[in-house]
Amino acid sequence: MIKLQDLSRKFNGTTAVDGLTFEVKEGEIFGLLGPNGAGKTTTVRMLCCLIKPTTGTAFVGGHEVGKDAIKIREMIGLLPEAPGLYGELSAYRNLEFYAKLYGVSKQKREENIERFLKMLGMWERRNDPVETFSKGMQQKIAIVRAMVHEPKVIFLDEPTAALAPESAKVVRDFVLELKRERRTIFLCTHNLYEAERLCDSVAILKSRLIALGSPAELERKFGPSRTEVQLESVSQKIVNVVKGLKQVKGVDIEGDKLLVMTDDPEAANPAIVEAIVKQGGRVKYVTRTAYALEETYLRLVKESES
Amino acid sequence: MASVRKRKYVLYGLIGVPFIFAIIVPLTSIYPVMSAEVQQKQTTVLSIVNLTLLMFMMIPDFIPSVIASYTFVGEKVNRQLEPLLATPTSDSELLVGKGLGAFVPAMAVTFASFVGLMLVVDLLTFPLFGYLLLPNLLSVVVLFVYCPLIALLSVSFCIFVSSKVTDVRAAMQLSSIVIFPIMAFYFLFLSGVISLEWPTLTVFALVLALASVGLFYLSKATFRREEILTKWK
Repeated sequence: MIKLQDLSRKFNGTTAVDGLTFEVKEGEIFGLLGPNGAGKTTTVRMLCCLIKPTTGTAFVGGHEVGKDAIKIREMIGLLPEAPGLYGELSAYRNLEFYAKLYGVSKQKREENIERFLKMLGMWERRNDPVETFSKGMQQKIAIVRAMVHEPKVIFLDEPTAALAPESAKVVRDFVLELKRERRTIFLCTHNLYEAERLCDSVAILKSRLIALGSPAELERKFGPSRTEVQLESVSQKIVNVVKGLKQVKGVDIEGDKLLVMTDDPEAANPAIVEAIVKQGGRVKYVTRTAYALEETYLRLVKESES
Repeated sequence: MASVRKRKYVLYGLIGVPFIFAIIVPLTSIYPVMSAEVQQKQTTVLSIVNLTLLMFMMIPDFIPSVIASYTFVGEKVNRQLEPLLATPTSDSELLVGKGLGAFVPAMAVTFASFVGLMLVVDLLTFPLFGYLLLPNLLSVVVLFVYCPLIALLSVSFCIFVSSKVTDVRAAMQLSSIVIFPIMAFYFLFLSGVISLEWPTLTVFALVLALASVGLFYLSKATFRREEILTKWK
């Protein structure tokens, strides 16, 4: 659905985006991760035909960026960094205005506005001026604006950045619902937990592409594979036995929890649990370390800087 | 219109400028002559009414400049442009849409102001002439030919300027340049270089029309979505 080939963009000699090459499949949630100034917004703007690439090409829905701008804009929805709504107008009027710009019929736009506002819990506030809304509520309206013409491809730049946890969950559920409708979602985010939860594939960007793959692949390939084993109580004997296993690269202790480093946790975990049980240890639970993508991301970004 | 109500400087402009040129100017220029002992009073008053009609053209010149200078710059400042530029609207559609958004209210204010001007002029001059001076042929030409053309020129120029500068005040200041053709016409008439006859009126209308169309195409040719997003602060 989206294809980038050696896509680059320079601003006054400074390279913002350097030779990006990757593909996003139809119906996929693709996450673009990177620190501030990594080129995420520039990439989205190029794909939305708002700015032109300096070199390279990109295709959205089979249409070439820069050549078929109108066709691309017809099939995409964009949530930019700032909601950019008309504060004096009601939520409904904002959405109606944009639906008209996209040429959505009256009946369809009424249906879509109602459906999406209800999905995001904003239907009751539809007639209130947007300027009276909180940042999070404005963000939700801007998300509906990006969806009001039912685009095949949706670009979401930090969709949950201004949201409280409960609203962020509503938005994440909304994004998953869009995926169920086979829409392609291009998600820029700093929220690695969110990327891990939502994305089928992620790219880590720092002007150039640092890593690409599914969150699990990246964790396996680059991240510290760590298994948490919560015991009833930890003894030195158990620690020594686990350390002695050939699959284990290291063990840390946090209270009654063992943090076990391995190359391949899926292969090593049965042996680890078996060894602990043999030593009389009582295992309460075994889990993969939370925020593994975050650790992978931080490591890759740090390595790229050095 | 909601945006206009919200921004006080726009609202003051929409009320203040028509009040000056449709009420204050005719009142302060006709009343002293009417109440004084002047030779050939009718001729003098007629000449002053013609001048107030020319000054009246400042309304369709000024009002669009207040609204249109806000169009691109103001929306950029409020970060409303990016989602708009991402829609499948063409450059021409965007420019025409922005232009109409300034032109229509400007003309509405102009027509409403003309009613005020007519009332003031006719109330003041009826005792002298015994008939209503306005509307007359020149006022019809001013209202239905010059005012729309001037509003169009003002809108085109303001949109051209506002997509080139980075803040609303700079846009408004630069847009005030459009006042010069009207001032030139006014002073040429005042100094007797031109008279308000059909050849002169036609040439002035053609100049305004050509300038408006030329500026629209210049705006379209120099309109760059990318620059608006990347170079503006």
